[in-house]
Amino acid sequence: MLPFWLRLRVCKPGRRGFRLWFPVILIWIILGALLIALFPLVLLAALITWRNGSGRFLLFLYPMLAAVLWNLSGLHIEAKDDENDVLIDFA
Amino acid sequence: MSEEKRKVLEMLSQGKITVDEAEKLLAAIGEPDNEAVSSTGGKRQWKYLRVVVDPGPGSESKDKVNIRIPFKLIRAGLKFAAFIPREYQGQIDEALKEKGMNVDLSKITPEDLEEIVSNLDDMTVEVDGEDKVRVFCE
Repeated sequence: MLPFWLRLRVCKPGRRGFRLWFPVILIWIILGALLIALFPLVLLAALITWRNGSGRFLLFLYPMLAAVLWNLSGLHIEAKDDENDVLIDFA
Repeated sequence: MSEEKRKVLEMLSQGKITVDEAEKLLAAIGEPDNEAVSSTGGKRQWKYLRVVVDPGPGSESKDKVNIRIPFKLIRAGLKFAAFIPREYQGQIDEALKEKGMNVDLSKITPEDLEEIVSNLDDMTVEVDGEDKVRVFCE
C-alpha cells in the first residue's frame, strides 16, 4: 500500500527543530501525473537505447519504481546522536 | 514427547494444575502460531528487517539508531538493482572494490537475490560492545 503520510523530524536534542507531518499522497499524485506525461518519451528512449542495455532498464523503470514506492509504507529511520536527531517515517 | 509437554504432565501428576488447565496448556503447546506460519511450506514470514543500535552501559556516546525496513521494499529495491545497465555495473563494482567489497554484481542473478532475502529471516545478530547492536527480523 502506498504510504499516505511522511513524518519528518530534524532537530538538535532538546530543541524543537524542524518537525513535519506531510501528506505524501500529494507527491504521489504529482509524480504519477509526471510519469504518465513522460511515458511516450521514456518508451521512445527505451527503443532507441535497446541495443546497449539501457532500453531494458527504461522499459522496466515504471513497474520497478511503482513497486519501490508501493512498499515504502512502514519504512522507519531514526538516528540520534549528541548533535542531531533525525526521523523519517512513512506511514 | 516435547520438553514442554513433559513439564505440563509432571505438573498435573504433582497436582499443581487441574486436568482442564493441563488440557489448555497442551493445546497451546501443540497449536502452531497461525499468524506467523505462512502458506509457503510453514516458514515464518517476517515483515520487517530491524537494525537497532543503543549505547552500551559503559558507552560515553548516546548514539541511537532505530531502522525498520519492510522486506517487500528490500525485494523491490534488489529487483531494481538487477536491471542496472552493464556499462554502469562496472563503475559500481569499482566503487565497491574501493570500499573493500570485491563483488561482481553482473554475476548475481535475481534468483540469488531472492534466496538471500528469503533466508534473511533466519538471521539474528547481537553485538555487545561499546554499543549494543541488534539486527533481527520482526
